[in-house]
Amino acid sequence: MAQLYIETREDVYRYLLTLGVHPPKAQEAVQEVFLRLYTSLKKGEKIESLRGWVFRVAHNYGLKVRARQSTEQKFDPAFEAQLASPAVNAERALLDREKMTRLKHAVEGLSEQQKRVLFLRMEGLRYPQIAATLGISASAVGEFLRRALLRLRKVRDE
Amino acid sequence: MSSFFRRHSDRDLVRYLDGELSARKAGKVERHLESCGQCRAELEELKDTLAECARYQDVLDAQSPEAPQPWRDLYRDFSRIDESLANTSLLGRLMRPLVHSGAPRWAFVTGLAALIVLVSLHQLRQAPSVQAASILRKAVAVSESQPRPARHIRVRTSHRQEFTRLAGAQASLIQVAAQQAVAAQFQAANFDWNDPLSARAFEQWRDEQVHKTDEVTTVPNPQVPSSSCTRIRTAAAEGELAQVSITLDAGDYRPLEEMLEFRDREWIELSEISENSTDIAGGTLSRPVESPVRAAEPPSRPAAFAPGSSASISDELQVLSALNSIGADLGDPVEVSLAGGKVLVTGGEGIPPRRQNDIRASVADLPHVEVEFSPSRPATVPAETAVAGGGVASAPASPMQARLEKHLGGHAEFDRFSTQLLDLNEAAMQRVYALHRLSQKISPEDEAQLSSKDLNVLHEISRKHTAVLAEKVSGMERILVPTLSALGGTAGDGTAAGVSPTSGHTTWQPAAEDVYKDARRVEVLVSQMLGMTPGNPPNSALPSELMAALKDLQGNLDECRKFLQVK
Repeated sequence: MAQLYIETREDVYRYLLTLGVHPPKAQEAVQEVFLRLYTSLKKGEKIESLRGWVFRVAHNYGLKVRARQSTEQKFDPAFEAQLASPAVNAERALLDREKMTRLKHAVEGLSEQQKRVLFLRMEGLRYPQIAATLGISASAVGEFLRRALLRLRKVRDE
Repeated sequence: MSSFFRRHSDRDLVRYLDGELSARKAGKVERHLESCGQCRAELEELKDTLAECARYQDVLDAQSPEAPQPWRDLYRDFSRIDESLANTSLLGRLMRPLVHSGAPRWAFVTGLAALIVLVSLHQLRQAPSVQAASILRKAVAVSESQPRPARHIRVRTSHRQEFTRLAGAQASLIQVAAQQAVAAQFQAANFDWNDPLSARAFEQWRDEQVHKTDEVTTVPNPQVPSSSCTRIRTAAAEGELAQVSITLDAGDYRPLEEMLEFRDREWIELSEISENSTDIAGGTLSRPVESPVRAAEPPSRPAAFAPGSSASISDELQVLSALNSIGADLGDPVEVSLAGGKVLVTGGEGIPPRRQNDIRASVADLPHVEVEFSPSRPATVPAETAVAGGGVASAPASPMQARLEKHLGGHAEFDRFSTQLLDLNEAAMQRVYALHRLSQKISPEDEAQLSSKDLNVLHEISRKHTAVLAEKVSGMERILVPTLSALGGTAGDGTAAGVSPTSGHTTWQPAAEDVYKDARRVEVLVSQMLGMTPGNPPNSALPSELMAALKDLQGNLDECRKFLQVK
């Protein structure tokens, strides 16, 4: 449990940022999720994939938090990333940055659901876990991912 | 093949790439890919896109803001949850019949009154886990409210080592090998070694355990038998430690004793050395400390063998296998021998009663077995290794040690390095000894006589030992080889003093003998390198010698494993 908390908290935190939750709220949420996990385990709940469970609960919790902060501006990590991007030296870095900027726009252009599927897959979750997180079927996960990748490729090749 | 799979969609490709297709479908996609260039190109494109996404995510991760606060330590919250769960579950259980029975109002009121009585009774006699948590909290609060004088504690281990140590002060470099090993055990178990005999250390460890059971008992004070103590024993379902019990003075919550029982059956006992004693290291205090579990007198087992029959090697192998399954062939001073028509299992001193019972139980169903233990008495190894005070006088470091420290980046790093290395070495040596004993017990000639079933049992045990050994040796190599190379070591032609890997063996036993010799040599060289063998400073050839020894060990071990492979 302690191990899982240490290994996973940063990943879950960053995932919540991609959902648009502001950093302090995201961190609070992560801690709350682990307390819930502990409670569930203590109550004898059988959990197959702990990582999957954590992401699923964090996802739902994150959406609620985001709804409450709706009056404020949505947190946009990609936007911050661009601002924070340090001036790296060589030309190649410049090209690379251009590529990443294009990709960033492409990702922004994805539907909310496509984005979530993509991010959860990048966090190493399997389709059934992603499906449980988002409340859709595993084959729908494959479909969302396929469309997301097609779209990213199209934008990249433009 | 259906036309669908001749022109399969991207959708299958993405799922194929992610390993989310059934084996059957994946096979079809694979076959299709072999013949379809277009789909292969498509697959490459997908891979590229995914790789870019991964890079994008890395960039995003690297630049997204760090968590604004340091991450909270959740253990305190965990024990809060424990308490509220313990309370609500009882309340819920009591309320349920009332709420659901649709009983008349007066019944509800009476019920409620009864409930209040019950709940207050419950609070008087709380569930052990709540009680344990609250006692610990008090004990921690007490210890934190008072300036704590540094105290001497006695440490005894299942390896019959004994030493005293000043606790409460920052531990300095632990020079003595025994202490180092114990420190490593504590570290592995996530148990604070700086102040091990303390309510805080116990509480910290306990809070980390998700699945645990507590037990709170009152026992006589070991120092003043007329007064009493509270003992909390917590058994954990996971982790290195199977259970830990701490004995606190019932009056001032001062910790007096602590027993750590590891899952691998080792144990460490800590006890406070009382202040009115004038003799800290001497024997006046080595009175037997009550073992955590009273040895239940083992039921005398009726002789299980039919008259006339007597034990064979096959029976002995069964016993060895049973002991192996509970790890009793590692570290425990247990001997197995075939004598007088019986398989004799003899346990030496220092096996705790609980472990004795386990050993008895493991072989209880086997025929012709007799188990005997030497009467357990507390080990009284003179505390020559006693280290008093936080300021351990470091022995003058050898030039080798100085270079090592410099290479590793300092004192603390050296400490970590040696602890890790000694840990691995100890685990490896346990296997080496176990394997060696087996190879001596059953000669190749004996082996030729065995039935295939017995042969399987024997090889299975040996395979287990060699597999773990190989893992530990690789671990040592991973840590050692880069360091040794940096110190100028080469593995090249160096078989300086060692057993050169001869490959003329035809059975596993002589290979195991070589493994034994090599491992012993590695052990000696490692302890020389770490400066643990006083008066024997390592020479400059040591790095090369050690590398060569490791290589030999690896070679002979590989050979031994080849003989033991399942055919």
